[in-house]
Amino acid sequence: MKRRAALKSLVLTVGGTIYLPAWANNWNLDTIPEKQNGFVSPDQESLLAEIVETIIPATDTPGAKDLGVHLFILTMLADCYDKSAQTRFLTGLAELDKKVKDNYNQSFVACTPAQCLAVLKDCEEAAKLLPPAKEPFFPFLKSMTIQGYLNSEYVMRDVYKYELVPARYNGCFPVPVSAKK
Amino acid sequence: MANLNTDSIKNRTYDAIVIGSGISGGWAAKELTGKGLKTLVLERGRDVKHITDYPTTFKNPWEFQHRGQVPLEITQANPIISRCYAFREDAMHFFVKDQEHPYVQDKPFDWIRGYQVGGKSLLWARHTQRWSDFDFEGPARDGFAVDWPIRYKDVAPWYSYVEKFAGISGNKDGLPELPDGDFLPPMELNCVEKYFREQVKSQYADRHVIISRCAHLTEPQAIHHQQGRGKCQNRVLCQRGCPYGGYFSSNASTLPWAAKTGYLTLRPQAVVQSIIYDDRQGKATGVRIIDAETKEAIEFYAPIIFVNAAAINTNLILLNSTSNRFPNGLGNDSGVLGKYVAFHNYRARVSGSYDGFLDTTIDGRRPTSGYIPRFRNVFKQETDFLRGYAAGFSAGRGQYQSRNGLGTELKANLLNPVLSNWNVGSHMMGETIPKETNQVSLDTKLQDEWGIPQLRFSIGYDDNDERMVKDYLEQISEMFTKAGFQNIKTSDSKQAPGLDIHEMGGARMGKDPKTSILNGWNQVHACKNVFVTDGACMTSTSTQNPSLTYMALTARAVDYAVQEQKRRNL
Repeated sequence: MKRRAALKSLVLTVGGTIYLPAWANNWNLDTIPEKQNGFVSPDQESLLAEIVETIIPATDTPGAKDLGVHLFILTMLADCYDKSAQTRFLTGLAELDKKVKDNYNQSFVACTPAQCLAVLKDCEEAAKLLPPAKEPFFPFLKSMTIQGYLNSEYVMRDVYKYELVPARYNGCFPVPVSAKK
Repeated sequence: MANLNTDSIKNRTYDAIVIGSGISGGWAAKELTGKGLKTLVLERGRDVKHITDYPTTFKNPWEFQHRGQVPLEITQANPIISRCYAFREDAMHFFVKDQEHPYVQDKPFDWIRGYQVGGKSLLWARHTQRWSDFDFEGPARDGFAVDWPIRYKDVAPWYSYVEKFAGISGNKDGLPELPDGDFLPPMELNCVEKYFREQVKSQYADRHVIISRCAHLTEPQAIHHQQGRGKCQNRVLCQRGCPYGGYFSSNASTLPWAAKTGYLTLRPQAVVQSIIYDDRQGKATGVRIIDAETKEAIEFYAPIIFVNAAAINTNLILLNSTSNRFPNGLGNDSGVLGKYVAFHNYRARVSGSYDGFLDTTIDGRRPTSGYIPRFRNVFKQETDFLRGYAAGFSAGRGQYQSRNGLGTELKANLLNPVLSNWNVGSHMMGETIPKETNQVSLDTKLQDEWGIPQLRFSIGYDDNDERMVKDYLEQISEMFTKAGFQNIKTSDSKQAPGLDIHEMGGARMGKDPKTSILNGWNQVHACKNVFVTDGACMTSTSTQNPSLTYMALTARAVDYAVQEQKRRNL
């Protein structure tokens, strides 16, 4: 009976959304004001989606936009960063937008992939001239994009083969040929 | 009316009361119910049922909204608990919030607490090394604290007893300073750890690198299957609660076992205010609680009381249990209650890398590490500091990705990780010397939400600790250098006491009632029906992770208590 109850709970949790019991809501973000609402405008969200897609584009595998990396970045910014980091980010986004409009007479979203890439390469080069203490926008954005991409379900599961239950430890495992450099 | 009253008292009367449901309270519950005593376990936090109350246990990393990171609002509101390595998005619901359980820090002390059924046994690091006589004889030999009233031979059979039930994996290493136990098969050192073991063996006669003994079921026996527990699956997600019962916790093991006897009553949300002492009978008669939610005061009664509230809270309860007979706290004739608190010094680390064994790597995960038993001042005093340190040791190989480029170039880099050289690392587990000045006391004004006095902490490091940190950094660096490791870096976090989560003492055991609170059976000298078998009882700290010793002392004390009751001595 206990075993059956245990198995039932396994099915419930493995199957889909995990419902936290009431006590866990103490730590659930439902109880924290939803700062993400109104944190960025729909236009800013679309702009960010195109930027992360330019940083890590779709090829024969999904790109950052398909994986929702822009939404991950917004969630992290809203919940895990302070006001000044949020402001720096929004300012950086606005400056990038303006720079594109000045140079190409159109928004980033309307630019060709080659134009987008050229803009971001400029941003990266320009940021290298700034001292790290300035906490420049572009390296932060790139780093967040990489974090979101590497921690996405697709990359963790399909590329890096994350196992929830390895059930083994081999401490002297021959390096797979593919990993040798 | 009088009958109603009598019934009410009867309904609140048990054969034994256990305060706390963590690693030692769970053992007290199992042993007492196993001997047929109707036992009430009081837990100040909420209930956590094995498996059903582990809400994150089956989550993949990408299912956490912040990929493990704790949101800023929570870390800002809870700076103390946020310093704990296990306080991450997947397990933060098992820790207390700073403001809800305030205390006063005359000196910084990071008090890490898990208020729920199972306590910190859900969260512990699961290393389980036995003590030896080099530890029990330490205070007498080196002239600090007081002599332990017990020796290894007193505890050895109880170590075996709890090891068999809990399931301890380990290798029989044959070291006098770290006695072998009743082990399940050991986990495995990896090839660089084995290499380091051989290097150390060839260069130092008295230093050893072994696989840590740990409370994981590597090969479950019938007794473990009877508990409904299965083999460790190497997930290394232990802090979420293990759905397989692969590691030992009160929730997976002792509490359900006690419940099966039919003699267990578990009452969560019961904040213990004090132990009730009856001057006329000359003994404790029960426990007064405040219901955590309703704030109602309720008394429970029993002829045997086990105090297992976790080291510091046990001190609080004893200090707050005042009576005509004990105006300064239960059993505190000596005045040492709350004093001589000690802990483990976890400040120092050494890291490095190794460019050998590049054809091998690690496959799978391992929930424990290598271990270097204490090698300083073991057989005789030989350094400018007292006692010594054990050390964790582990090696691993990381993957890294070049982050150069943008667009398809960057993407190709991210999808083609490169193996790093082997990384090696060690952390210090130093014995600290209990001192009268390292103490906790009750604040005379400040109270918590339940009307219980807040604790004041005055616990710090001393010169002995500083010299030991220096020696650890030098010795481990030397061992790394001799093994040919490169990029050796040392660090001293200067972290406050408490973050080691190995706080001990305050109600220490001793031979003399004038200088100790408990006798050699963990029994309060001056109040024979109260037993303290959690970290508060510790006379000295040794270097070994303490939980296994709490378990053994608890089982031993219950056995004694029940015998004493039969002899009508309680």
